[in-house]
Amino acid sequence: MQRYLFSRLIQSALLMVGVLVITFFMVRLTGDPARVMTPRDASPERVEAMREAMGFNDPLIIQFTRYMGGAARGNFGQSLHYRAPAMSLVMQRVPATIELTLAAMGFALFFAIPLGVFGGSRPGSIWDTLARGFGLLGQTVPNFWLALMLIVVFAVDLGWFPSFGRSGPMSIVLPAVALGFFPLGQFVRLVRSATLEVRGEDYIRTAYSKGIEERAVLGRHVFRNVSITLVSIVGVQFGYMLGGSIYIESIFSWPGIGRMINEAVQARDFPLVQAIAVFSAGFVVVLNLLTDVAYALIDPRIRYED
Amino acid sequence: MKKALCLLIMMSLVAFAAFGGGAAEEAVEPAQTLRVAVPTFPNSIDASIAAERNAQNVAWQMFDSLVFQTETGEVEPSLARDWDVSDDGTTYTFYLREDVEFHNGEPFNADAVVYSWQRGQRPELEWSDRWARASSVEKVDEYTVEISTENPDALLLGIVAQHWNMVPPEYTEEVGDDRFSEAPVGTGPFKFVEWVREDRIVMEANENYWREGLPRVDEVIYVPIPESSTRMAAIQTGEVDIVNRLSFEQAEALEGADGVNVVTYPIDRTFYIAFNNLTTGVGEPTEDVLVRRAMNYAVDRQAIVDSLFGGYAELATGLMTTGNLGYDHSLDPYPYDPDRARELLAEAGYPDGFEIGFAAPTGAYTNFEQVAEAVQGYLRDVGIETDLEFMESGRYWDLEAEKALPPLFGDSWSERSGEALPRLRGALDGWDASFSAWQEETITDYMNAIEETVDQEERAALYTELHNYMFENPPFIYLYVPETFEATRDNVRDYNPRAAEDYFLMYTYLEE
Repeated sequence: MQRYLFSRLIQSALLMVGVLVITFFMVRLTGDPARVMTPRDASPERVEAMREAMGFNDPLIIQFTRYMGGAARGNFGQSLHYRAPAMSLVMQRVPATIELTLAAMGFALFFAIPLGVFGGSRPGSIWDTLARGFGLLGQTVPNFWLALMLIVVFAVDLGWFPSFGRSGPMSIVLPAVALGFFPLGQFVRLVRSATLEVRGEDYIRTAYSKGIEERAVLGRHVFRNVSITLVSIVGVQFGYMLGGSIYIESIFSWPGIGRMINEAVQARDFPLVQAIAVFSAGFVVVLNLLTDVAYALIDPRIRYED
Repeated sequence: MKKALCLLIMMSLVAFAAFGGGAAEEAVEPAQTLRVAVPTFPNSIDASIAAERNAQNVAWQMFDSLVFQTETGEVEPSLARDWDVSDDGTTYTFYLREDVEFHNGEPFNADAVVYSWQRGQRPELEWSDRWARASSVEKVDEYTVEISTENPDALLLGIVAQHWNMVPPEYTEEVGDDRFSEAPVGTGPFKFVEWVREDRIVMEANENYWREGLPRVDEVIYVPIPESSTRMAAIQTGEVDIVNRLSFEQAEALEGADGVNVVTYPIDRTFYIAFNNLTTGVGEPTEDVLVRRAMNYAVDRQAIVDSLFGGYAELATGLMTTGNLGYDHSLDPYPYDPDRARELLAEAGYPDGFEIGFAAPTGAYTNFEQVAEAVQGYLRDVGIETDLEFMESGRYWDLEAEKALPPLFGDSWSERSGEALPRLRGALDGWDASFSAWQEETITDYMNAIEETVDQEERAALYTELHNYMFENPPFIYLYVPETFEATRDNVRDYNPRAAEDYFLMYTYLEE
């Protein structure tokens, strides 16, 4: 267990160094930031002065050392557009994104688990049809389209929910559904197929033959085994949802990291883009690490392997 | 036991939801609150730092300058009740209002003007070169200041009106740029209340505002909505009162929607395909004015505008727009006449046409990729083969600034000063301008004369002459001036956005 953890930690650290290197070079492919920071009719002299002041004229290796040194201290420089420390801007947006991601995950699991378990335990039933239907829809409906449709139907036509913003508990419903629909589909399919598999196992037959109620068999024996598979995919999905939230947050004007990526890229605010990229990568790496740990804790077969 | 616990949790959740929802609805709002959606969220709400149009609009509701510029370019008194200009045109004496206070109670006087200027021209501020157009600002007495320029500068008053936001010396000095940017203090019609980062900016009416009877609403709330479909939804639900930057499809869909008015107007932006006579275009046929005229005849602008913009755009006759000083309304756009184009090409010595490089940016402007392809098609019809290359806009503008784009390149230029000069200089000032690829002695002489002439009528006449010269000797294939689409709730009155997409909410109110 310890060796397993240790090797995963080393891998994660190496991954982060790679991310830092990539982000440094990536943003330098998008054009000259000095020009973004000066008005369009600025003279070439003024642009040059800005470039000098920002240190863009230094050799790449010096800029790179400066960047890595700053990154080690969590300092990604000033956002060019907002004129504030980039990482602290990102941190201000983190709560909104976590809130939305958790709500979307809650929505997805809340519907996916019963649908998947019932569907998988009674293949061919109405539950199964529903489960397979949602599985297919979730995987095929593009989330930005779904988001716009949700707004048109539930905000404009019915007036049940606000169409944008983060104000009160009602405002999270539509973005959470839009963001949670894709993982919902994936979870349903996964839970369904895992249930199908588990239900043929000997211990399930034993449970039934002991006369245990079906509800208890599903809950205690089937779902507990299915949850092992589920945990691993939930961790991965958190990472994907961070990506999906770029569209969803922009559409619903949800003040999280996703919307900030959009703003930062449009403003060519490269310290901010770097800070967001490094933060998101770090977030995913930590999640994966936690998933591995959780996996080991839940499934004794992994824990005892070495 | 377990069931009881579950029930308890459920009940508290329901209670929380009900209580939370109720609290939000019961919050008492002032009599008249105007809610405005902006597509981008301001980087700053200090008018000296606010980088783009929407941020400027938010900021300027809280500030005044010495003078105010009307939509037609006339300059009116504001914080200065009057002014004189010296005979040589380089010194302006402003007589300030004596009854004005900043929102925090600091008096507005000559010291505040001098301080604002000293602060504004620091290079780290966005609009420093606009402040630096004055070479000195001096206090004469408590309510008189003298502003001097090195040479006569006819644009000075307009630039003062649009960029010189007056700030209170004590407060600004005490809190520094960063804090000021988050909680600005000015003399304007609205006072800053709060800025909940990325969620809303709230301002309330300044009851002591020096313009009698203004502003007319009690509160203004700005909310950012980056996605235009969502802005369209929010105006339909009434969650906001004003939205801008809609597409024409969205505006058409909103026509006739309940409780919504659509506002449309041409903006001060011109689209063009530029020629190059500095670098890549040297030695190309486009150096010949006959060829450039031919290419203007070759393109069917009206068809482009009709098919790609639903007809909602004016055809350009130059680098000036209809509201600009000295615009010659008697000029008709080049007609679509491919035969005339072929004749001119033959006359210039290219009866079989020629090949030339052409580039356009992607993702920068609505449908501009299709516009470029249409232009390519029309040019091919008269024998000019172009090798059209699309580039990501960031990269594109870098190359444009390096003057490394092909000899034909598409772009656009907006201007908010009500005059064409900054745009003309930017696009035609040769090696002295970052984004210019063209230099021509006659044009440069006109631009210098316009800059140094102070008399408005003489300047207008010079603009008209230049407009005609550039029509006959086009440094561009002129394309179109687009319209923009906004929408308001139907009880919004006196919301009058101008061609530069700016507006003053002090006049706006909601009819009961």
